[in-house]
Amino acid sequence: MTREEIIQSENLVMAKPRLMNDTTMHYCPGCSHGVVHKLIAEIIEEMGLEEKTIGVCPVGCAVFAYRYLDIDWQEAAHGRAPAVATACKRLWNDRLVFTYQGDGDLACIGACETIHALNRGEKITVIFINNAIYGMTGGQMAPTTLVGMKTSTCPYGRDPELHGYPLNITELATHLEGTAYVTRQSVHNVMAIRKAKAAIKKAFTNSMNGIGSNLVEIVSTCSTGWKKSPVEANKWMEDNMFKFYQIGDLKDVRR
Amino acid sequence: MEDKRECYLMKGNEAIAHAAIRCGCDGYFGYPITPQSEVLETLSALKPWETTGMVVLQAESEVAAINMLYGGGATGKRVMTSSSSPGVALMQEGISYMAAVEIPAVIVNVQRGGPGLGTIQPGQADYLQATVGGGNGDYNTLVLAPASVQDMADFVDLAFQLAFKYRNPTIILSDGVIGQMMEQVFLPPVKPRRTEEQIWEECPWAANGHRLKQRKPNIFSSLEMEAVSMEQRNIKLQEKYELMRQTEQRSSTFMCDDVEYLFVAFGSVSRCAEEAVTILRQEGHKVGLLRAITLWPYPEKELNRILPTIKKILVCEMNSGQMINDVKLAVNCQRPVYHFGRMGGVVPSPDELVDAMKGIIFDKN
Repeated sequence: MTREEIIQSENLVMAKPRLMNDTTMHYCPGCSHGVVHKLIAEIIEEMGLEEKTIGVCPVGCAVFAYRYLDIDWQEAAHGRAPAVATACKRLWNDRLVFTYQGDGDLACIGACETIHALNRGEKITVIFINNAIYGMTGGQMAPTTLVGMKTSTCPYGRDPELHGYPLNITELATHLEGTAYVTRQSVHNVMAIRKAKAAIKKAFTNSMNGIGSNLVEIVSTCSTGWKKSPVEANKWMEDNMFKFYQIGDLKDVRR
Repeated sequence: MEDKRECYLMKGNEAIAHAAIRCGCDGYFGYPITPQSEVLETLSALKPWETTGMVVLQAESEVAAINMLYGGGATGKRVMTSSSSPGVALMQEGISYMAAVEIPAVIVNVQRGGPGLGTIQPGQADYLQATVGGGNGDYNTLVLAPASVQDMADFVDLAFQLAFKYRNPTIILSDGVIGQMMEQVFLPPVKPRRTEEQIWEECPWAANGHRLKQRKPNIFSSLEMEAVSMEQRNIKLQEKYELMRQTEQRSSTFMCDDVEYLFVAFGSVSRCAEEAVTILRQEGHKVGLLRAITLWPYPEKELNRILPTIKKILVCEMNSGQMINDVKLAVNCQRPVYHFGRMGGVVPSPDELVDAMKGIIFDKN
């Protein structure tokens, strides 16, 4: 078989989503961001929303998300993405408007904007990457850092007396009247990736149908920040993160 | 001839709300604070979402409100907010971000006395914050200073026009006197909101998800990893600001044909100064007033045009001396420049300004 004979559309089993740009990603090996980016690109394409989508990116590791997905983007100030998205959706209510935020951006400096946008029932989707650490600034303690977990600003482990407790903001979001769909997923294996994709698609569909606000948390790895190999990081996440951040749908008003 | 214009008696804050709806504003996002809460209250009572389709939203904070302007402005919509000094201080981060990526929007500051929580009485102490940036980095915003309820009504549309002409945030720097006092006002004519087609035509740069075939995505980000690239962005912005400096200076003069002693004021204090000029003219003093309408860019051309007959200049403000810096720069040491200010929410009376001016007229130095 020649190379030309092999490269035929009927032989295609996997392809890069059309909305993924040919840009070298800055993410570290083993990081969950790249997988989630790919899922979002696939879903927007499958839903035919390439010309109807506004993405709002955060300050944090995903600060350059606009380089990787071929859609209109707005880079928000640190933590303010839900406020930015609120105006976009209210002024263009036939658009898909989503924010893509990390734990520091969403659950710490932007906790106020996050809770109020979700509670108002803004017809947006919030994608929340929770890796329990500040990746971009070099591994400091996050609002979601687990008790006992070591970071550069809690080098002896998170001590509730000294640093307070981790904030389970997704659990909190289930109690807000405005949220329609609140779920927690991960992307560390094929099964998880499939479930995460279905969850994001459900959230995007709700947003387009004007059904409440939607929060999809992806419990993620940060092998660099956690000082582990990608394989070790996946294992550590399953053994430690999933105990506190349990995977599954937390709220679904349509069920 | 019969005057067909719609004449009302209302507060400056109410005039802002009516003017916003009438000039085709797409969205208002604000947070209550005295002395400007009537803007959001009036909009909420008028329910423009049922008539023009304008969005009105009470945000969770001034921080959220300004970032809603960032989002809405970046999609090409005409968006505005209003607040008062402590609230506008919270908005500085967002204004810097908007200036950096050239997002048009209108921000109304009905100033009160500071610093800190200060007072709910009128002030003008946010002059420097408004005219030299206010947030981080090198940037400027256009600043319009209304001096009447009529100005409040007229400046909303003007501010939007300037904001979109230059793709730059524009500030209406008002104060508690102008916001709270009631005056006769002719409301501006009703202008429809732009259609989606008109927005695409006017704002091909907007990130609103509308992807014409072949168009690259529109992306708003102020982040550059390379210093040289960031400097290039700064150079581009400074070129725009220079064009604004040359083109957009606005001011008005009162009794300045033969003026020897000049008041310079803005906003509500210019109204007091006008009264002081009238009193001093009756006593035979050749006194006039230059009112700055744009505070940035500063109307230095007009000040220099009337400078030849002027002997001394008295700058009057409700602050410790902020606009006086711009006056000194404009006259470049050619004339002595004095200051009279009241602070912390105290509004000067015309008599105080008369006495202050007499002080410098009869001062032999």
